[in-house]
Amino acid sequence: MSRIRVLFGLAALLMAVGLWLALNAPPDALQGEYSRLINIHVPSLWLAFLAFGVTALGSMMWLIRKRPRWDRLAAASVEVGVLFTGIGLVTGMIWGHAVWGIAWDWGDPRLASTAVMFFVYLGYMALRGAIDDPVTRARRSAILGVVAFVQVPLVYFSVNLFRTLHPTQSVRPDGSTMPDEMLIAMLVNVVAFTVLYIALMAARIDVAIAEEGADSEQALAGDAVKPPKISEVEDV
Amino acid sequence: MSETVVVAGAFVISYGLIVTYAVYLDIRRRKTT
Repeated sequence: MSRIRVLFGLAALLMAVGLWLALNAPPDALQGEYSRLINIHVPSLWLAFLAFGVTALGSMMWLIRKRPRWDRLAAASVEVGVLFTGIGLVTGMIWGHAVWGIAWDWGDPRLASTAVMFFVYLGYMALRGAIDDPVTRARRSAILGVVAFVQVPLVYFSVNLFRTLHPTQSVRPDGSTMPDEMLIAMLVNVVAFTVLYIALMAARIDVAIAEEGADSEQALAGDAVKPPKISEVEDV
Repeated sequence: MSETVVVAGAFVISYGLIVTYAVYLDIRRRKTT
């Protein structure tokens, strides 16, 4: 069995345990069943922060070492990070609509900064898609990967720095504001999502390596695989 | 809409997006090999 299949199997098992714990934890006295959404919302955004941190690291390492593997790592992590930011935004909107009575408020610093982060990293993906030369693509996206990370701590601490609709962190160095059963369920889901991140990263890097191999084979084949121009085709 | 349906919907959407992405990666990998 391949390494990626083992990782996906482990992630699925942990997610099943996490889901079971999430559905069996007691509901919050005020929010009722909606409080269970913390088990997807928090792990998704934790993963997004982790993924963009890995992108910044990969980008910085590419700028120093110029090795393709760092560029692959950064590009893979952005894709996974954008997926989980999207999930965090969707679950947040569903939760906000149910509990605050409003799905979105651009005046809220946490919501607005998360949306900006989402669009900046979508822009990173668009930038990569727009450049054909691999070295230019790696250099430009590495610069963006480092610069874009500046906003990540700002998103995380926005609930502490500004007055927002969004609550502050439930788990802090001095303890947690959650009952033990809810906390355990959320932490198991954080671990499960982290293993899922590793599995998705391994799969995404595998795809990148395979595509680079296919591209170089095509480049080596040169003109032999190019279709003839219309002007070169003789009339029959 | 009941609370349970909304919460179940959010879980289904989230897991659905993750599975879709994993399948998309698998299709991309198969195309190159």
